[in-house]
Amino acid sequence: MAYLELDNVDFGFGPVSHRYEVFERASLAVEQNEFVAVIGFSGSGKSTLVSLLAGLLKPDRGQVHINGKVVAAPGPDKGVVFQNYSLLPWLSVYGNIELAVKQVFPSMKRGERRDYIQHYIDMVSLRGSEWKLPGELSGGMRQRLSLARTLSMKPEVLLLDEPLSALDALTRSQLQDEIIRIWEEDRRTVLMITNDVDEAVIMADRIVPLTMGPAAHLGREFPVTLPRPRDRATLNFNPEFKELRNEVTRYMMNLNEEAKSLTRSVTLPLPDLQPVLPGPRVRVG
Amino acid sequence: MLGLWIILILACLVGAAAWAGKHRTVKAIDVAGLNFLTPIVRLCYGEEPEKQLKDIGRFIVVPVIAILLFLGAWHVVSEKIQTKSGKLPNPRDTLHAAKAINDFHYRENDKQAAFNLNGEERAQELERVEQRLEELKPLEAEVNKNVAAAKEAAKERLATKVAPLQEELDTLTAKFKDAKKQRDDELASLASQAAVGDEDAKNAFVGKVRAYRQLASDERDRLRDLRTEINDMRAEKDPEEQRALAEQTAIAEERQYLGKMQDQLTDSNRYEKVDEENAKLQEARETLYAADSATILKAATKVAQTEDRIDRIEESGYAKPATLPYQVKRSVLCVFVGFLIGSAIAIPLGVLCGLSKTFMAAMTPFIAIFKPVSPIVWLPIALIVASAFIPDPDKHWFTQWLWELPLLGEYKINPAFIASAVTVALCSLWATMVNTAFGVAAVDKDHINVARVLRLGFWSRLFKIVLPSALPLAFAGLRISLGVGWMVLIAAELLSSSEGIGKYIWDQFNNGASDSFANMVFVVFVVGIIGLVLDRMMIVFQRLVSFDGAPTAI
Repeated sequence: MAYLELDNVDFGFGPVSHRYEVFERASLAVEQNEFVAVIGFSGSGKSTLVSLLAGLLKPDRGQVHINGKVVAAPGPDKGVVFQNYSLLPWLSVYGNIELAVKQVFPSMKRGERRDYIQHYIDMVSLRGSEWKLPGELSGGMRQRLSLARTLSMKPEVLLLDEPLSALDALTRSQLQDEIIRIWEEDRRTVLMITNDVDEAVIMADRIVPLTMGPAAHLGREFPVTLPRPRDRATLNFNPEFKELRNEVTRYMMNLNEEAKSLTRSVTLPLPDLQPVLPGPRVRVG
Repeated sequence: MLGLWIILILACLVGAAAWAGKHRTVKAIDVAGLNFLTPIVRLCYGEEPEKQLKDIGRFIVVPVIAILLFLGAWHVVSEKIQTKSGKLPNPRDTLHAAKAINDFHYRENDKQAAFNLNGEERAQELERVEQRLEELKPLEAEVNKNVAAAKEAAKERLATKVAPLQEELDTLTAKFKDAKKQRDDELASLASQAAVGDEDAKNAFVGKVRAYRQLASDERDRLRDLRTEINDMRAEKDPEEQRALAEQTAIAEERQYLGKMQDQLTDSNRYEKVDEENAKLQEARETLYAADSATILKAATKVAQTEDRIDRIEESGYAKPATLPYQVKRSVLCVFVGFLIGSAIAIPLGVLCGLSKTFMAAMTPFIAIFKPVSPIVWLPIALIVASAFIPDPDKHWFTQWLWELPLLGEYKINPAFIASAVTVALCSLWATMVNTAFGVAAVDKDHINVARVLRLGFWSRLFKIVLPSALPLAFAGLRISLGVGWMVLIAAELLSSSEGIGKYIWDQFNNGASDSFANMVFVVFVVGIIGLVLDRMMIVFQRLVSFDGAPTAI
């Protein structure tokens, strides 16, 4: 049995009259300490998937398991890095991490806690910005802070919800390397949502595409067997990398076309209306 | 004086800029909402001087010009507006009123100090007062002479101005009298003809009578207009005479003040009175010791009475009338008491409203009904309730306790004060409540998700996530509340006769002295400036708690 498991999950929004089914019979299995990338088009329910796994949303049918246990409520064991950082803007870098650490490790002593927080600040290279407010940080720094906060909770599962999609290309590749470095130092189960095929290929052990919504499910899996560490500079000339990337892209494009062909196009007959043109002025009465 | 202030402010700015650095000074100015000072600091650092000069022109010179234009317009308009209580005071009258109010305040403080002086200090002060009184004597004589001369001159000027009109009036009166007599005679002769004539002749006679009546009426009007003109001229105040009179009043006031000071330093002085009573006590004691069984009761009573009187005198203070600075302080205290009561009610209720839609639904009817109620309605109700709890403030334990407090005691908190504060609270709490509720309800969903992932309990969630993120909006509400409270307070004080700015205005309105009008106009500026300061203060707080750098100043 896999470590993190999505078991035949149905989920939808809205009342019965105009219900939108996001997932229908979606299943996914992630092994312990595996890095899985879920890739999908926007609107296919990627963020909903993270919310379901984190326990922020409850599936309508089916279950989410972690280590064999059913996920009933969100908690620090399922760390989420949100797409838009979700930092508390009135707390400093240190304060944001402190809030999480105090809550998750209430018995930690003061000095120990300070060192612990500093360790995570150093880990994401934010040393020197401890007392800055999130508003004074760049996008990349904010996402690092969000990552540090989540990691400081020592989650068993790390759920990354498009963590890099709001960043520019350079910061993005830098942060990809950093996430991989941290993950390799301290292996744990990671599920990352992304919309970038290259990112998925470079970072993940396995790529799982999400089919087009509504009623999405998880499609064919692509294992990534490229050896680690993966060097960005030479990877571009690696035939395996190129092939995998093309394969995933092609699969995704097919999904898109399939989705388009599935959408019904209905021709509605319009009534034959003639506009009333203003005629000559007529005196009435 | 004004120039000194400007130089002082500029010196402070330059000093701050040099000491704290440009960036920090600009930031502090921004937080304080005094952004018009920024270009001066930047100019000191030689940063884009052209742009800074332009900004100085726009944000400092233009407002100053606007103020000057306003003063000019005010001066012109005030000349034209004549009311029952005199002319609308112009800027200069208002400034004079301000000075008089200030003098009155300091003189009353002096008298109070004099009442409590003793020993060497008292002797020195007395000497100073008497010296000044001596100095005043020749000045007073001169001023009196000036006034007499000015009055004489004014009378002459008036006489020459009125003379031609008076002459015209006299001639016209005589002329009209003759004309009337002539007409009467004519009518009398016509009457005898008409009496024998036919109906047409009689009707024609009516026409004649009517025409003459009209003539007489026109003449009366003409004479009345002339008389009014002459009376207006007589009633008009001669500016030179006024000036002389004002000088005389100033000297007379100072003399009166010095006389009172003298009295406070001698006969009315606390220690003087105590000494006097002590002498009496000594005498009474001697009688007591010498008394026999027949007189001892009387003598003992006398001793006891005198001792009581000494205690009373030692406790008593100078009966100082309320001066405007005291009233201003009391008003500010009152608005803050009301504001605190209002906030203490509004913030918890607002938080509850924001947290629970059910509670919000329960509160909505009350908010909707009570919010538009005018302070004028709340005040009498609050006054009745406050007076019911404290029927006699001189005896009630609560007011007695308040009066004994070190700093607060001076302000003699009474039911009228409490009623005014409660009215302020009732009128101002709505803005805070609604804004807090809105802030709490509008907490970012992502932040709530963070709280859920961290499994924060209800209280940690409230204090660590919900309240901090609602603070900027809550403070925006508090700022509106304080502004509303300040406006409401003046009306409440005016009605409740709670010693404060409102009461001052009401007293001036009822008093009807020649300077009352100017005093009231001056108070307009006092109220405005204090309101401005309160608002600025809240802006600073709001800036300090707002994490998103939201623009709040204006």
